[in-house]
Amino acid sequence: MKPSVRKSVFAGMAGLSLAGTVAGCAPSAQQPAAQETQPATTSASAAPGSSSSALAESGGGYKDGTYSADGSYRSPNGTETVGVQLTLANGTVSAVEITEHPSNPNTRKFQGQFASGIAEQVVGKSLDEIKVSKVAGSSLTSGGFNQAVEEIKAQAL
Amino acid sequence: MPHPGWQNFRFEGIGTSWEISTPAPLGPGFRSRLLAEVERYDSTWSRFRDDSQVARMSAGPGSYAFPAEATGLASLYRILYALSNGAMTPLIGGSLEQLGYGPGYSLRPRGAPTPPPAWDDVLEWRGTSMTTKAPVVLDIGAAGKGQLVDLLAEVLQSQGVREFFVDAGGDLLNGGNAPVTVALEHPYDSSKAIGTVPLAKGALCASASNRRAWGDGLHHVLDGTTGTPVRTVVATWAVARTAMEADALATALFFVPGEVLERHFRVSWLKVFSNGSAEYSAEFEGALFT
Repeated sequence: MKPSVRKSVFAGMAGLSLAGTVAGCAPSAQQPAAQETQPATTSASAAPGSSSSALAESGGGYKDGTYSADGSYRSPNGTETVGVQLTLANGTVSAVEITEHPSNPNTRKFQGQFASGIAEQVVGKSLDEIKVSKVAGSSLTSGGFNQAVEEIKAQAL
Repeated sequence: MPHPGWQNFRFEGIGTSWEISTPAPLGPGFRSRLLAEVERYDSTWSRFRDDSQVARMSAGPGSYAFPAEATGLASLYRILYALSNGAMTPLIGGSLEQLGYGPGYSLRPRGAPTPPPAWDDVLEWRGTSMTTKAPVVLDIGAAGKGQLVDLLAEVLQSQGVREFFVDAGGDLLNGGNAPVTVALEHPYDSSKAIGTVPLAKGALCASASNRRAWGDGLHHVLDGTTGTPVRTVVATWAVARTAMEADALATALFFVPGEVLERHFRVSWLKVFSNGSAEYSAEFEGALFT
């Protein structure tokens, strides 16, 4: 299978979201958390109401406040942007929020092309009728659970 | 078996029935290696046994070391936690136990439902290391079975097996190049299918709400204003490169629009609703019986 472009996007996003815990345990890390993602371009800015415009101060501490940064990456649809918002309290990350910006017109086009199909009414056919050897489903999941349900049913009789 | 003449190795593991199919039979040593990997995974991650690492973690706060596969779970869960606004969380274990879905399977609620703690309030999960600030009941059930499928596939590949098919109780991984036609199980009747799809190399996993319903069945909930069944998701399917992703994305489809998941993962998806309708990505076009 060819390398998955979206896989790399996913890896980047995971990096973004994990930045919160990284910063949370290491308030003296050299890099501001929002810059750890470092995709093609990043721009960090303090949210309105915050007195600080930079994440890191000299000495390694972080000022409390809410910070946001945009990260961009290449997707199959062109450049995509995600927003990350971190809230710092007492030098640790207290909240992480990721927002998506469906700004790229190609993305909308892409999503339009691959927009989900819809079936009004799905009907079942007996497995005996269709010659397949494999079934994708979840009825076999959790033997212990199913056993317990059977026992409860028996008790309830 | 997925292909005529292939050999099946069947066993029970992590609460489900497994079938691994290969062109040639797997020898006893090979089978032992596969079963050892199942036991290793279960003894680490199961919240249903008191000797697991997850059980130790539920006893109190501290730092806990996990095996290598924890890294993949961390990043996958973290992005789905963000995309679902916290609805899909590995900290759901305590909430499940509260409702009776814990060790012993009492299936009797201990009290009112309780929401899980916010991730960053109690858990710092970096790769293979977890540090907790409170006792937490970790539940990686949404991705664990899929990940074990991938780990068993690695065992097979490391021993030179290039063609194989893994069926973990309806979660499927095709490790061969020949596509396998797969039926999509009817959400309410496991003797029926609602469609078929060809599964090329990759994984197809399913999730269903009604299978684990132990209270009132969701599909019996009617809208009092219309008398029609509430249009709620009852079953989902996801096709992805790895079984771990397919497994987790099948669950994520209950909380996140398929179109959003498509932006972050290479995934095809299908959602079936309680009123019998369905939504799907392009790859499922023509797959359903209507």
